[in-house]
Amino acid sequence: MRQRDELELLNSRIVVVLGAILVAFAILVFGFWRHQIAQSPYYQGLAERNRIRDIPLEAPRGKIYDRERRIIADNRPSWNLTLTREDSPRSPEETIAILAAGLDATEEEMLDRLDRRRSSPEYQSILLYEDLSLADIAFVEARGFELPEISLSFQPRRRYEGAELAAHVLGYVGEVTQAELSGDEFGDRKAGDIVGRFGLERQYDALLQGTDGTRLVLVNNFGREMEVLGELKPVPGKDLVTTLDLDLQRAAEMALGDRTGVAVAILPATGEVLALASRPAFDPTLFARGILPEEWDALVSDPRDPFQNRAIQNRFSPGSVFKIFMTAAALEEHVVTSDVAILCQGGKVFYGNRFDCWSAGHGHVSLLDALVHSCNVFFYTLGDQLGIDRISAYATMMGLGQRTGIDLPGEDAGIMPSAEWKMRTTGDRWYPGETISVSIGQGPVSVTPLQLTYAVGGLAVGGVLNQPHLVNPEFLRQAGLEVPALRSETYPVAADTVALVQRALWGVVNDAGTGTRARVDGFDVAGKTGTAQVVRKDAYSAEFEDHAWFIGFAPYDAPEIAVGVFVESGGHGGSAAAPVAQAILQTYFDKKSARLTRNRTPEMARND
Amino acid sequence: MRLIDALRSRRFWQDFDWFLLLTALALSSIGLLEIYSSTLNMDSGNFFLRQLVWISIGVGLLFVVASIDYHVLAEHVIFLYAGTLLLLAYVLVFGRTVSGARSWFGVGSFGFQPSEIAKMVVVIALARFLAGHKERYMTFGQILAAGAIWAVPVILVGLQPDLGTALTFVPVLAIGLFVRGVRPMALVAGGLIVILMMPVTWFFLKDYQKDRIITFVQPETDPLGSGYQVIQSKIAIGSGGMWGTGLFQGSQNQLGFLPTRHTDFIFSVVAEELGFVGVCVTLGLLLALVFRSLSLARMPRDTLGLFIIVGVVGMFVFHILVNVGMVIGFMPITGIPLPFLSYGGSSVLTAFIGLGLIISVRGGRLVN
Repeated sequence: MRQRDELELLNSRIVVVLGAILVAFAILVFGFWRHQIAQSPYYQGLAERNRIRDIPLEAPRGKIYDRERRIIADNRPSWNLTLTREDSPRSPEETIAILAAGLDATEEEMLDRLDRRRSSPEYQSILLYEDLSLADIAFVEARGFELPEISLSFQPRRRYEGAELAAHVLGYVGEVTQAELSGDEFGDRKAGDIVGRFGLERQYDALLQGTDGTRLVLVNNFGREMEVLGELKPVPGKDLVTTLDLDLQRAAEMALGDRTGVAVAILPATGEVLALASRPAFDPTLFARGILPEEWDALVSDPRDPFQNRAIQNRFSPGSVFKIFMTAAALEEHVVTSDVAILCQGGKVFYGNRFDCWSAGHGHVSLLDALVHSCNVFFYTLGDQLGIDRISAYATMMGLGQRTGIDLPGEDAGIMPSAEWKMRTTGDRWYPGETISVSIGQGPVSVTPLQLTYAVGGLAVGGVLNQPHLVNPEFLRQAGLEVPALRSETYPVAADTVALVQRALWGVVNDAGTGTRARVDGFDVAGKTGTAQVVRKDAYSAEFEDHAWFIGFAPYDAPEIAVGVFVESGGHGGSAAAPVAQAILQTYFDKKSARLTRNRTPEMARND
Repeated sequence: MRLIDALRSRRFWQDFDWFLLLTALALSSIGLLEIYSSTLNMDSGNFFLRQLVWISIGVGLLFVVASIDYHVLAEHVIFLYAGTLLLLAYVLVFGRTVSGARSWFGVGSFGFQPSEIAKMVVVIALARFLAGHKERYMTFGQILAAGAIWAVPVILVGLQPDLGTALTFVPVLAIGLFVRGVRPMALVAGGLIVILMMPVTWFFLKDYQKDRIITFVQPETDPLGSGYQVIQSKIAIGSGGMWGTGLFQGSQNQLGFLPTRHTDFIFSVVAEELGFVGVCVTLGLLLALVFRSLSLARMPRDTLGLFIIVGVVGMFVFHILVNVGMVIGFMPITGIPLPFLSYGGSSVLTAFIGLGLIISVRGGRLVN
C-alpha cells in the first residue's frame, strides 16, 4: 500500500472516530439541556431547599392583666429539641439513642414522636422533645457539633400566675388540631400553632395571637447557619386588660375552697365582671407545657368535671332567689300591694295538690316579710294570680332564660318556661299546677349563676341590664378588633318596687333573715338565699343534697356590686353560700376603704 | 542542546500551534476561576495559586515537549518503556500510599505518579508499534503484540491498585487498534469479550467501587452515601439554568453541597455558576481541542505522528466523557479528573504534556 493510500484509509477511520466523539458530546449536551433548561425549576427548587432554611419565629401570645394591671398570664422562654433527618449522617434511631443517654426524655417518648412524623419530608424538622431543662440544653449544646441533625428551637410558652387562679376565665391553650385547621375558627392558622382552647384564651385568640415571624438562613451541607438572609420579626400578640380584680377572684376561690360551686362578682352599673370562680378547676399551665395523657385522663374522668365553667355553662333551678322576680312582677302587675297580708299555714292546696312551705307556718305575712323569710305559700299565691305567661314575660324582661352575652365561649341560656315554651318543647299544654312550682323557682325554670347575679343586680340598680364582660370593648377597638358595643337595656320598673326589693333583701341579711352570714360590718349588704332542688339524682351520691344559692348586692340602697354564689350539694343557701359572698364583699369593701383612706387629702383630714 | 536550539529557531515559533495552546489556556482559565470560586470557603491552602503554578509549569513543559522531535522519542521508546516499568514496579513495592493506592514516587517532599508518565510512554510505544505496519487490517498476532505492549504497564498500574487510572489507558489501545485497522469480525469479537469480562471484573472491585456502580444505576437508594454526590451534582447543574447563578453565586458550590468540587466535580460548578451557556462554551472548547488535534492527525508527515495524536486524543476524550458524564449521572463515579479544568498537579501536567506531544507532531510535519 502506498503511503498516500494508507493515510487516506487511516484518515477515513479517524473521521469515524470523530463522528463517534461528536455523538458522545451531543449526548452530554442533551443531558445538560434536560437538567438546566427543561427541568431547571425542579432543580432550582431543590437547591433552594438545600440551602435556605425557613426557621419559624413563634410570636409570644399577648399577656392577660387584671383591672389593676397585675399579670395573670404571660410567657416564659422555652427550648424544644428538633431533628432534621436530611442533615443526619446516622439513622434517627441512632440519634435518639445518643440523646436518650443524656436527656431527661426517654427513648420511647422520642421514638413515639418520630413515628408520628416519619412520613413527613426529610427536610422538615421533627419535634423530639419539648421544654428542655437547663441541664438538657447544656447536654445538647455540648454534643451539638457531633450531631448536626439536631437543633434547639425557641418557643415562648404560656405561664399563668396562679396555678388554678381564674382558670375558667383564662381558659387554656393547645396545639391546633388537624380538624380545627379545616374549620372556621382556626382556618387561617397553620399546623403546629398554639391556639386558645377555652375561656378568654379562645374568645380573644385573634387578639392574643401575634404574627409569627421567620428567619431565612443560609445553611451549609452540615445544616449549620452560614448567614442570616433576612428576618421577619414576630409581632407579639396584643395584651388583654380584663375587668377581673385578682383580690376578689382569690377571695372567691378561697372561700369556695374544695367545694363544687361558683362565685361571681359583677358591677351591675357597667357589666364589668370582677370575679368569676368555678370549682373544681384545672391548672392551665398543664396545657402550656403539654398535658400528659394520664393528667388529661384524670381531669376528664373526674365526676366533678373540672373543665365545666359552672358560672355560665351549667343551668340550675334558681330556687327561692326567683322570689325576687315574683315580687317585682306582682308589684308591677298590681296583683299585690305592700300592705296585703297572706296567711301561711305551712302549706296550701292548689289544683288538688298540696304545696308545702319550708316552715310550719309563717302566719299572716306581708310581701316584705314573705321575701325576707322566703315564705313559699305567699309566692304560690302570687304565682297562681299572675299565671305563667306574666311570670315568664317579667322574668325574661329582667334577664332570665337568655344568654347574658358575656365574652366567654359556651354560655348557656337557661330556661324561662311559658305555655308557648312547653307546647314547643313537649307538645303538651301548660298546667296551672306547674306555675305553683315555678313561683318558688322550681320546676323547669333554670338559670346560670352568672345570669341570676346579673338579673338580680340589674333589678337592684333600677332595671338596667348591662351586658357582663371581662374585657372593655373600647379597649378591644383600640387594639384593632371589631366588636359590637356592649348591650345596655333598661326596662320599666317602678321605683317603689325596686325600693321594696332592696329593703326586703337588706332584711334577709341584716334583720333575722336567712342570709345573715353574708353581713359585712359597716356596709349594707342585701341578698337572697335559695335552695335548689336536685335535678339529677343519679349522677353521684353527694347530689342527693340540695344546692345552695346566695345572690346579693351592696350597698342595698345604691348597689355598686352584685355577687352570686352557688354551692353544689351545699345544703342551705344561708349556711353554705352566704359566707362565700361575705368573703368577696368584705374584700371589696376593705379595698374600697383602703382606697378612700389613701386618697384622703390633708384638707379632708383637717375638716374631720 | 538540541532542545534550546529548537526553542530559538524561528521555524518552531512560526509552526507552533497557537490555537491549541490558547484553547487549553481558555479551558484552564475557566478551571482556575471555578477553582477559586469553589474553594472560597475552604480553610486549607490556596488552591487557586497552586493551580496557577501547575498551569505555568504545564505550559513550560508543553513547550519543551513540543520542541522535541517525536521521532527521537519513538526511536528510544524502548528505554522510556523499560524505565517506566521499573518506576511502576518500584512504587508498587516502596511507593507512598495515597487514598488507598500505592502510586506515588516520593523524592523528599516532591512526589509524582509514575502512572502519569506511563500514559505518555504507552501512547508513544503503541504509536511506534502501530506505525510499523502498513496493511489494511492487522493480523491476530499483531493485535496480541500491541495488546501486550499496552498491557504490561497498565496491569502494573491496576495492581497499585488504581483501576480508575488503568481504565484511562483503554481508549489509547482501542482507538489505536481501530484506526490501524481491525477486521469487522475481530471488532465484534473484541466488543463481546469486553462485555463478557464485565461480570468477571465485578469480583475484582472493592466494596466502595461496587457501591458506586449500584448507586449509579439507582442513585436514590443511598441519598446520603455515594448517591449523595450525584444527586447534589445534578441539583447544582439543574439550578444553573440557562445563564447560571453567576460566578461565586452557586449555592450548591459555595455552601459545600458539592463533593470534591474543585477536582472531580469542577464541571458541576461550571454548570451551576455559568449555566447551560457556560457548559456549551466549555464543551465547545474541549471539542475544538479534540477536532483541531485530530485534524492535525489527518495530515502528518508519517503515521507515527498520527498514532501519537490518536493516542493522546483518545485519552483526553475518555477523561472528558467519563468526567462530564459522571457529574450529570450518565457515568458511575470514578474519580477521573477533567483535563485542564480539574485542580491537581498530575492532571494538569499530563494534559499539557499530552498537548505538547500533539503540537510536536504538527511541528514535525514541516521539519526537513
